[in-house]
Amino acid sequence: MHFLEVRNVKKVYTTRFGANQVQALTNVSFGVEKGEYVAIMGESGSGKTTLLNILATLDRPTEGEVLLNGKSILNLPHREIAAFRRDNLGFVFQDFNLLDTFSIQDNILLPLVLANVPFSEMERRLKPLARRLGIEQLLGKYPYEVSGGEQQRTAIARALVTRPQLVLADEPTGALDSRSTDSLLRLFRDINEEGQTILMVTHSTKAACFAKRVLFIKDGEIFHQLYKGSLSEEEMYQKISDTMTMIATGGVVCG
Amino acid sequence: MGRFFYGKLAFDNIRKNSRVYVPYIITSISTVIMYYLMHSMAVNQSLGKMAGAAQVRSMLSFGFAIVGLFSVIFLLYTNSFLIMRRKKEFGLVQVLGMEKKHIARIMIYETAYIAIISVLSGLISGIILSRAMFLLLLKILRFEVKLAFEISSSSIVSVLLLFAGIYLVTLVWNLWQVHLAKPVDLLKGGQVGEREPKAKWLLTLVGLISIGSGYYIALTTESPIAALVFFFVAVMLVMVGTYALFTSGSISFLKLLRKNKRYYYTPNHFTSVSGMIYRMKKNAVGLANICILSTMVLVTISTTVSLYVGIEDVLRTRYPREITISSYGITEAHVVELQRNVSEVLESHEIAPEDTLEYRSLVFLGQEEDGEFLTDIEPSSLFAGNPQSLTLVPGEDYSRMAGEDIALEEAEVLIFSKGGSYKHATLSVLGRTFKVKDRLSRFPVVSHEASITQSHYVIVRDMSVLEELFRAQEQSASEYKSELRHFLGFDLPQDADSATIYRAIRLALSSGEPFSHVESVDAVKDEFYALYGSLFFLGIFLGTLFVMGTVLIIYYKQITEGYEDKGRFEIMQKVGMGLEEVKKSIRSQVVMVFFLPLAAAVIHVAAAFRFISKLLAVFNLTNIALFFWCTLGTALVFALLYALVYAITARVYYRIVTEGQALTQIND
Ligand SMILES: Nc1ncnc2c1ncn2[C@@H]1O[C@H](COP(=O)(O)OP(=O)(O)O)[C@@H](O)[C@H]1O
Ligand SMILES: [Mg+2]
Repeated sequence: MHFLEVRNVKKVYTTRFGANQVQALTNVSFGVEKGEYVAIMGESGSGKTTLLNILATLDRPTEGEVLLNGKSILNLPHREIAAFRRDNLGFVFQDFNLLDTFSIQDNILLPLVLANVPFSEMERRLKPLARRLGIEQLLGKYPYEVSGGEQQRTAIARALVTRPQLVLADEPTGALDSRSTDSLLRLFRDINEEGQTILMVTHSTKAACFAKRVLFIKDGEIFHQLYKGSLSEEEMYQKISDTMTMIATGGVVCG
Repeated sequence: MGRFFYGKLAFDNIRKNSRVYVPYIITSISTVIMYYLMHSMAVNQSLGKMAGAAQVRSMLSFGFAIVGLFSVIFLLYTNSFLIMRRKKEFGLVQVLGMEKKHIARIMIYETAYIAIISVLSGLISGIILSRAMFLLLLKILRFEVKLAFEISSSSIVSVLLLFAGIYLVTLVWNLWQVHLAKPVDLLKGGQVGEREPKAKWLLTLVGLISIGSGYYIALTTESPIAALVFFFVAVMLVMVGTYALFTSGSISFLKLLRKNKRYYYTPNHFTSVSGMIYRMKKNAVGLANICILSTMVLVTISTTVSLYVGIEDVLRTRYPREITISSYGITEAHVVELQRNVSEVLESHEIAPEDTLEYRSLVFLGQEEDGEFLTDIEPSSLFAGNPQSLTLVPGEDYSRMAGEDIALEEAEVLIFSKGGSYKHATLSVLGRTFKVKDRLSRFPVVSHEASITQSHYVIVRDMSVLEELFRAQEQSASEYKSELRHFLGFDLPQDADSATIYRAIRLALSSGEPFSHVESVDAVKDEFYALYGSLFFLGIFLGTLFVMGTVLIIYYKQITEGYEDKGRFEIMQKVGMGLEEVKKSIRSQVVMVFFLPLAAAVIHVAAAFRFISKLLAVFNLTNIALFFWCTLGTALVFALLYALVYAITARVYYRIVTEGQALTQIND
């Protein structure tokens, strides 16, 4: 049994009056083990966000099954969905999704507040986490007062503060400059090495080459996968770009 | 791109944005109707030369000026809101290659459509309604005139001029906004980098002090005269305080709440407190406006309704009897002659007077200090302080009126006080000291002047005491002398012709010396109805207008916020907020924004209640119970209306916040 298992997931978007149908995911199956760091790569429009939203219970597949720890997450009663999301999943989004009405500290604490955690416990978790992410000096500031990289660290802190089973990230480096991107990717790798399971979707080769495993998605299907094994980031980068070129030119994968 | 193209685009724009344009058009139509109605009534010739017609007309003219002013304010406010909402759209079409002059052309079409729809339907409805409204006015005023139905061309012209002006200004404003705008700014729509407002403790303090002193004046002012003098001061203080407290006090208060970690970091308070801090920054002035408007509505309607409903009370206070005769500077002989003259007239008309009241008196206006009544005070300095009147009545006159025998010693008095009790055991006036034997709980007749100041009716042993004090006054250095007075008042039987008798008595007393002032209720009743009736009418009419303004401000506030909050709630749902919690959080914030101003308005009105009852006394309304019920009724009706608007707005708001969200579809 995999920790996370995606079985034959299909997603068809139907426009309001059913006039147009878009098949975003055709047939996706894969598994993730506890402690893995998996990147899902694909070009823009290949269905990455759709897939992630389904895993996040933010959207529902047309067909297929998603299991976490062997239990389906698709048939949760709707009152429990929010709590499920809060307790088991952490999210990092491309555009950070911080609330400008809250200070950095309050943004991080938001999921804990929603979960009704006592304030003393919040403080206990916040301090080491902020130090770990290098944002302890910023806690009193507001999102619009800090840089993009710092905002994304805040978002990561918010994702980790609930000690989730699985962190889901959608293009986490998409809005960052290259220096912030590098430090963020190293951070993700370190967090993973400390035991956190991470699933990230991205179209950036650079982002993907830090992951332990890379899945390629094309036309709504998993097309290929690469293991990093003992490769260095540079070597991994090379392999991923080769694969992407092949996908783009429609060639056959060998290796 | 032809003319038809722009016209159609403009029409589509209005339809697409109906959520904000429909209330705008409804406001436009309503203001046109109200303006036309007021104007056409003011210029209607049917009022003719009825008693009080001139008063009514000037009141109505005042009314249409106010309606006109507020039409301008409301429509400009609404328009500025509309254009803010559409800046983004302009940016987009500009990016897509539309030029500013094309946008301008569309704007012209839009404004023209809205202007034509509003003015046309407003005028038609106004003309249809004007007859009913005019009949209602006449009924309230008790005017009996034949109504000529007229479509007032001067009113139509006035409407056209005013509203053409308003729409022209909005158009120029909107074109200017389009002109100023750069596509990039437009696309941002002014949503980034909203800074958190600072708590301004000094301003909060200023607000507390001014509201406090305003309330202090309202709660401690004793005399109606002083109330009249301090009214505007108190109103200004409370207004300043309201604005200060809404803008800074609210934020300071919310920040205090946020400092309390145990309170703040709970699901119920976390989002609403931080959300409110942001809301208050943008909305404080709007909410203060709503609070002031609501207070105005409540005060205007409750006072004008009580005055109108209490008009018979007012008349009875002002004119204790149907016919009243007051004479000044009398002697024994004068009184005898006056009594003879009056009874001759009554006998010649074969009428027996009913409920006759007759008494002599000596009245001093002055100030009381430690049981000593000072009469030698300049009138102008009197009104700054707390003026009191002292009415001395001989014991025999009181016995006759009250129908009970009283026995007083030379230096004893009975006191009846109104507007504040007399606290001392003795009373000194003009060098003579009396012992207060007893305090009376009622007095047969209280003159209307007495309701304006704090007044004491002092019953002395007999007429000789009055004469002695009168002489003492003559010898004193006092510049302001009082005269001995005589009052005679009586009602007439049901079938008597009051007007004829009134004229006959006036004629009989006209040659007499000293001067007698004769008054008849019937002669002035019409004027009272004209005055209080038009006040009432105006109160209701303007009240409606203000309610409309209030509703409008709230509605647009909520909608703007809905669009802004949409993104926030989306994020919160992503990090694990359930739909139920979203609903709850929305409800608590919307409820706060809605009911804070209403609650503040009700508190203002409650604080002002005593003060306003004093003012009403100047208008001869002393029936405080009536005023109380009118105020309560007005407040309830207003609150009900308010709650209705709340319900509608909350629904629209909720729909905006959740629309187009995949999330809610799953969660539902
Ligand atoms: N809500 C939606 N309604 C209709 N079609 C959608 C919706 N969301 C995404 N799509 C379509 O599904 C496909 C995949 O989109 P997405 O998952 O966002 O791709 P990616 O994140 O890989 O760029 C695209 O063709 C997109 O147009
Ligand atoms: Mg995407």
